[in-house]
Amino acid sequence: MKQFLRQNGPILLVIALLLSILIGIGSMVLGSGMDPLSNLFSVVTTPIRNGVSAAADWAEDVYAYVFRFDEIQDELDGLRAKVAEMEDQVREGQDAQRENEQLRELLNLQEKRRDFVFESARVTAPVTSNWESVLTISKGSNFGVEAGDCVVTETGVLVGVVSEVGTNSARVSTIINTDIDMGGIVARTYSAGILEGDFTLMEAGRLRLSYLPDGAQLVAGDEVLTSGKGGVYPSGLVVGQVEGVFTDPSGKTRYAVIVPTVDLDALVEVFVIKDFNVVE
Amino acid sequence: MTRQDQIIKWLIYTLGLLPIWILDAFLLGRWPVWGVKPNLLLLAAVSVAVLEGAKAGGGFGLGVGLLWAIGYPGAHGLPILFLTAAGLLAGNAGQYALTQGYAGCLICSAATLAVMEGIHILGGLFIRMAPLSVMLSVAGKEFLLTLLWSPLVFLIFWLIFRKVGLDKLA
Repeated sequence: MKQFLRQNGPILLVIALLLSILIGIGSMVLGSGMDPLSNLFSVVTTPIRNGVSAAADWAEDVYAYVFRFDEIQDELDGLRAKVAEMEDQVREGQDAQRENEQLRELLNLQEKRRDFVFESARVTAPVTSNWESVLTISKGSNFGVEAGDCVVTETGVLVGVVSEVGTNSARVSTIINTDIDMGGIVARTYSAGILEGDFTLMEAGRLRLSYLPDGAQLVAGDEVLTSGKGGVYPSGLVVGQVEGVFTDPSGKTRYAVIVPTVDLDALVEVFVIKDFNVVE
Repeated sequence: MTRQDQIIKWLIYTLGLLPIWILDAFLLGRWPVWGVKPNLLLLAAVSVAVLEGAKAGGGFGLGVGLLWAIGYPGAHGLPILFLTAAGLLAGNAGQYALTQGYAGCLICSAATLAVMEGIHILGGLFIRMAPLSVMLSVAGKEFLLTLLWSPLVFLIFWLIFRKVGLDKLA
């Protein structure tokens, strides 16, 4: 055994070490871009990824149709009722909007206007690690996707932020991933905080809204949006709802646990916000 | 064995790795069990190492590590070194200390997984990612779930080994 290790082990280990260092350096040098090897691999395996993803979606649809027909029927009935309810809300909302505009005028607030440039993409690979929550999507730099772009659902619910970009794919840190750090605001009270991924909460699919102001009176169910502070991320994207408010172990600051509105396990198509303007 | 035999042999092993990679990278993440997904690539590297021995195991581990490093988000280069070392050690253990069957594979997989979880936890503690208990919970579930998949992964490579393993193609 010792002889074997003397003969072969060091060579393999040296090759492995060199490759590790090469890829590691590549990752560091390129920052948010994929290293060339990963990018090449991603390009080559895209058809496989897309094929497997399409097959899995189809299988899920068939399974749902065959085994969950009653459930789907109930869901449809529920959705019809919800649509009717929402139509009522839209009517009420129009009144509220008019009132809101008047109030804005009264308070001399300038209405913010955002122009989003969307790029649609499919989720081609789900979260692949238990230590981070990262999705792979089907569009990359060839469609103008850049690191730091926000990714949303068709209803404007925040999915995450693009963390790495390849030629024809990109990796998205979901909103529960530990590298997420963006401004958040509670829609009802305008209490601002920092939306942060937290490993302790990640497994349960939650994130936290940290550094809440002392006087913030949050209740469960309060809607949380992105605040857009700093202009790095767009404002007004729906993040989730407050589940509970807690005090840090230090006892100095409070934070809220947020249940994301997006269902990360059910994502098929998403939209990358490639550009936006905040006009104040 | 001629060079051509060697190439055919490792192509077949690579074909065996393909369904495992597809399962690992594209499918199992969709349906997590206990909130986690198993790590099949590690099992693949260890299974081949136990069956084929240290030299082949180290080489296969290097290849699987490369796949892991370039195909998975945030992996960087560490898996290459880790799986090469795991292949070398598991191959040696299979040849000289344990059996070159499922029992040996299970022990080596458990040991390799334990080291990997240890690295994750130490890294997590270093960057203060989460309390130890939380990381232990994730690592424990990942450890158990991965080992539950070990019979299937070993079976795939054992079937290949029976046909083309060692010098059978010569």
